[in-house]
Amino acid sequence: MLSVLLFGQDKGEKVSQTFKDTRVVNGHSVETNKEGQMKMIIAHRFGEVNGGLKEFFGLDQSTIRLGLDYGLFDWLTIGIGRSSFEKTVDGFLKARVINQRDGNGSPVSITLFSSMAIKTLAINDETRPDYNRVRYTYANQALIARKFSDRFSLQLMPTHVHNNFVIHKDKKNDVISIGGAGLFQLTKLVSFKAEYYYALPDQLLDDNTNSLSLGFDIETKHHVFQLHLSNSRGMIEKFFVTQTFGEWEKGDIMLGFNITRDFQIKGKKYK
Amino acid sequence: MKFSLKVIIPFLILLIVTSTALIPKKWNDDTPIYDILKELGESMPAHAPTSRDEEKIKQGRDLIFDGRTIGPNGKKSKFISKFYVCTSCHNTSQEDPDLSVLDPEARLDYVAEKGMKFLQGSPLYGIANRETWYNDDYYLKYGDLVKPANKSLAEATQLCAKVCSSGRYLEDWELEAILAYFWDIQIKLGDLNLSKSEKEKILNASSGNSKEVIALLKSKYALKSPATFGDPPKDHDGYKLQGRPEKGKLLYELSCQSCHVDGGVAGMPFDNTKITFQKFKRNLEKHTEYNIYEISRHGTYAGEGKPRYMPLYPKEKMSDQQLEDLKAYILQEAS
Repeated sequence: MLSVLLFGQDKGEKVSQTFKDTRVVNGHSVETNKEGQMKMIIAHRFGEVNGGLKEFFGLDQSTIRLGLDYGLFDWLTIGIGRSSFEKTVDGFLKARVINQRDGNGSPVSITLFSSMAIKTLAINDETRPDYNRVRYTYANQALIARKFSDRFSLQLMPTHVHNNFVIHKDKKNDVISIGGAGLFQLTKLVSFKAEYYYALPDQLLDDNTNSLSLGFDIETKHHVFQLHLSNSRGMIEKFFVTQTFGEWEKGDIMLGFNITRDFQIKGKKYK
Repeated sequence: MKFSLKVIIPFLILLIVTSTALIPKKWNDDTPIYDILKELGESMPAHAPTSRDEEKIKQGRDLIFDGRTIGPNGKKSKFISKFYVCTSCHNTSQEDPDLSVLDPEARLDYVAEKGMKFLQGSPLYGIANRETWYNDDYYLKYGDLVKPANKSLAEATQLCAKVCSSGRYLEDWELEAILAYFWDIQIKLGDLNLSKSEKEKILNASSGNSKEVIALLKSKYALKSPATFGDPPKDHDGYKLQGRPEKGKLLYELSCQSCHVDGGVAGMPFDNTKITFQKFKRNLEKHTEYNIYEISRHGTYAGEGKPRYMPLYPKEKMSDQQLEDLKAYILQEAS
């Protein structure tokens, strides 16, 4: 309906598989779960590879996020997750409001994303009250993507993150970031993707860096394996948008992988 | 006495003539075959409903197309299967131009013309007119499970719901509704490929030639769907038949992409891009278990944690020639 209002008409076949999975690397892609489909996501990030042999190139340290996403409808997904990093629990709602279509239809797909994260690790700052509300972080994104060809897709991700609690007065509670991501399909089952989040100036501390991640998707029938390198350790918006400190040029690069497994929880009307 | 004989004899003659003459003035092209068979004295099968019930037929249609319906308690029923609906594998309209000849080549042209899919399963249209189900080589796949299903449409439907669709057994009311729908979409007189004289013979049937007319009717549609499981070619070059890419295109679109489509029942959509066809080509060159010969002839099997599978194509559902056609199209698009 929205696409009809925005683009005047709703003709043409829907363009599918703009991205191979619901995540690009750390952040979300425009893709949503199919109705009744539950996706279990096991995501790992290891330590910096510049730790050398002593740290076995980062493999001695790892953080993990376990997540469950569920498609209420083909266009609406809800999800929960728990990260070992800061013992953070998160939940999100994701709605695909516009589908890219062939012909005279919409030239882009748009998905709106909103999440909330709660840090459950104790706050070790005696000068600050340990109210529950200071543990909360919110993130909102508009994911705008276009599949340009059979092999190439791009996505733009204007992002807003609100931290109820910041550790330094120079750090803004509200952070605006512009993300960009791309996918290039190498073979039917393997694709290369890149993701970059640029935080607008004067919002974060000087030692904050922008998140840059590169990786590969390897697709099987019911799984997608994602292997990547990133300078961000956290796997939800509050971490990779506002708490990235790694510098690629210094080797602060972390190896990571996501494994997703799909389960059909409920029947649906199939095509 | 003389007067009474004069009256009685013509009356008796008239009685004999009318009793051997035809009831079927009401038969026409829309008359279901079993209505005719019943009037000709054929016994009705176990799956025949006792009476026509529009509500049941609607419920049955919902179950076939959507996998669920509004149940007797007024609430939506549970999906029969989370992974398939009946129409994933079965058409519900006539798919063979001549119902007595089950030829996949003729079928492909026919369904393409009618805008239908080209599927592995027997059409549900006319399934009530079959006399056996899960025939021949289906024993190789399902073993003793096919024994009750072979002689009973109700049992065949339950086997399909539970095993073939990785779903559940139907409740009694659901089975009744589906059978009512099957009965409603049985073959009609006008669907048969009849010559003028054959049609005349049927329309003028009498009790005197009812057996002959029954036999004629039953010769005009298949009483079973034969199932011969083929083997992939022993030679990596294929079946040594000349492939026709234009036919292969139809097979790809009406068969492969009937399931392998975004939002379809198969986990992996197949698009029309070169890299997709190149993947098929590599599978052919490497002779993997996913090359089109293996996957079409053997299918895959459902298992624990892997309820989705691909049903195989018996030779009557896809011929060796058609597999070569599909291969020719793949190679054409991959280059």
